[in-house]
Amino acid sequence: MSSKLYHNRFYAMGTRFHALLPGMEEIRAEQIFYRIKMEVERIEGKISRFLPDSDLSKINRLAAREAVRLDGEMTDILSACQTCWNLTDGAFDMTLRPLMEYWKEDQKNKAEVPDSKKLMENVGFDHLVFNESNRTITFDNDLVELDLGGFGKGYALEKVKDLLSETSVEQAFISFGESSILAVGNHPAGDKWRIGMNNYAEPGNSVHEFRVNNGSVSTSSNFYLDDTGKLQNHRHVIDPKTGKPHEPFTSVSVSVESPVLAEMMSTAFLVSSDDKIKEVMNHYDNMEVIRVNYESGSAKITQF
Amino acid sequence: MTAALAGTSIMTTTMPWFNIFNNPAPHGKGASDRVRIGMIGVGSRGRALYLNLVELKDEMNIEIAAVCDNYVPHYDRAIELTNGEAEAFLDYREMIDKVDLDAVVIATPLHEHAQQTMDCLRAGIHVYCEKSMARNLDDVKAMYDTHQETGNILLIGHQRLFNPVYLEAMDRIQRGDIGPITMLRGWWHRNTDWVFYTDTGGRGTALDRQRNWRFYDEYSAGMISELGSHHFQVANWVLGNQPLSVMGSGSINHFDDGREVWDNFSLVFKYPEKIHFSYDCITSNKHNGVQVQVLGNDGTIELESNMQFEEFPTEPPSIQGLIDNIEQNENATIPIGGATWIPNAPMRLGGSYVSPDYELNDTLLYLEGFINFVRNGEAPEKLTREGYQASTWTLLAEEATKTGREVTLPEKYRI
Repeated sequence: MSSKLYHNRFYAMGTRFHALLPGMEEIRAEQIFYRIKMEVERIEGKISRFLPDSDLSKINRLAAREAVRLDGEMTDILSACQTCWNLTDGAFDMTLRPLMEYWKEDQKNKAEVPDSKKLMENVGFDHLVFNESNRTITFDNDLVELDLGGFGKGYALEKVKDLLSETSVEQAFISFGESSILAVGNHPAGDKWRIGMNNYAEPGNSVHEFRVNNGSVSTSSNFYLDDTGKLQNHRHVIDPKTGKPHEPFTSVSVSVESPVLAEMMSTAFLVSSDDKIKEVMNHYDNMEVIRVNYESGSAKITQF
Repeated sequence: MTAALAGTSIMTTTMPWFNIFNNPAPHGKGASDRVRIGMIGVGSRGRALYLNLVELKDEMNIEIAAVCDNYVPHYDRAIELTNGEAEAFLDYREMIDKVDLDAVVIATPLHEHAQQTMDCLRAGIHVYCEKSMARNLDDVKAMYDTHQETGNILLIGHQRLFNPVYLEAMDRIQRGDIGPITMLRGWWHRNTDWVFYTDTGGRGTALDRQRNWRFYDEYSAGMISELGSHHFQVANWVLGNQPLSVMGSGSINHFDDGREVWDNFSLVFKYPEKIHFSYDCITSNKHNGVQVQVLGNDGTIELESNMQFEEFPTEPPSIQGLIDNIEQNENATIPIGGATWIPNAPMRLGGSYVSPDYELNDTLLYLEGFINFVRNGEAPEKLTREGYQASTWTLLAEEATKTGREVTLPEKYRI
């Protein structure tokens, strides 16, 4: 095995994207890297709620007033989200952003913001009229807003996985903001990729190790970190049952073959009961799940 | 306004003219301490400069004592703009004869700058003149010589000299943050017919020659003097030198409406240390917008967009750990997964912002500096030289595009 390693990065979806492509001629690796970058940027341009021209922004602007036509890809995306919403009893719900905004300190006291009770009654996946065969979507009220934040990075990695497969890449390690990882083939030194989950109570140590070959690991948490391990944001996850932010510092990591499945399930499991997690896991082969609670100041790990 | 900038050490070490904000000229509030300013030319740029001066009026104790424009609609507008408080003139010579002025701000067509500037300097009036200096090299030199002879201030409106982004970037470049500079690139691309006035009867009429003067060879070098000169100044400033030579070419390939100046051109300036500055302008495509890039071996600074990019960014520790492992053919557990990384500073496209102060108005800062210099009776010579060198190389670049020759600075224009 050649020790030659191509690595490069770019920034997308508000975070960084690293690609490690071992054992390849540099010129080929570079070509593949730029194809990956183009694909990720294409997806961001389609599903970002920050970009005014994205398909998602168009839906958010119009769907409370009219049925918005969807292309095949957007139909597939919403269909996957709907399936996951059903499967997780509503724990995966990409309509909850208005509640998240509500619970931000600076929004809470504004008179013009509807109260949380009103929001609870009006947001939720069941307020979408999604017609898969006609490829249309409508919101049943104007408080609904779609946010594919807990989906996009995994979906992008799913597409990257296809791209790597089409281009016959046998080994690759892709990290999208560290919270979404795709590991193709084996580690160049042999054996599966040994993907440690960082212990935020003891940075630089792993709370758990996933051994992955042609698979992915996705982590959802109710906190974001910068490079120094400094907390940047807390409570960005809403529990759909209560309509309130999930408060305790928690992260859930899911390892499974499909990156988009890992992404959706880690999002859902952050606000799911232990029993529900176990029930969902029964549907899939080789799904591994850990939950880490940092509330006490040290890592308390639950392995499912 | 300048509180954000005053006291910043970088400004005083590498941009000595910024000392003026740390040590502003003392002044009282009374009429005897008031700086009296006249405006020559109150067209589109002149009006903008006037509005900037109004912002400084009370704080700086200045008075717009007189306004002048030989185009009657602008003359009338100037009276209205100043609520009739400033004395208005159609002829600047009458203005400087009749009104006691400390300084003038000149915003007239390029070919008029030289005479107006020299008349004012000789009348004991300090001058802030819009870029670039003049339509030919003899006039540029004569303006500079008059400034030297009279000892009165002559500043040229290259407002980037007072732009916080440029100032911070200049400090980073000199500190070596992007490594040795190996190339400069710049461009100004717009999609516009560049017609300022449509009711002139078309190209070639006397009125069009007066109003749309930028189109006529007699009055302007077109985009080379009206746009490019800003960036030629920046390149000189970044490299701390003027070019050794310039090569170039230009044509009119889209807006062929009778105008006499290029609608697109491309230049290569050679600088000492074997560095090139490549620059182009086009007015029929805006995709690339406006930019000046300083390329160093370790990084890139994009001055017009306030961005800095690293060539070899440090990988985060976990990714570096995995890279090391792969390179050493070792498979060990790396704590590489977890919560989403997000940047702790504003970030775009993998770069970082050079300065948080990009919204500050550099024209206003420059005028504030100018008024302080007027109070002190002198300004840093380097500022005047920046204007001089940008103006000479603007005209040499034009010559290069017209002759196809590699053009150098004739010795008699060296200062």
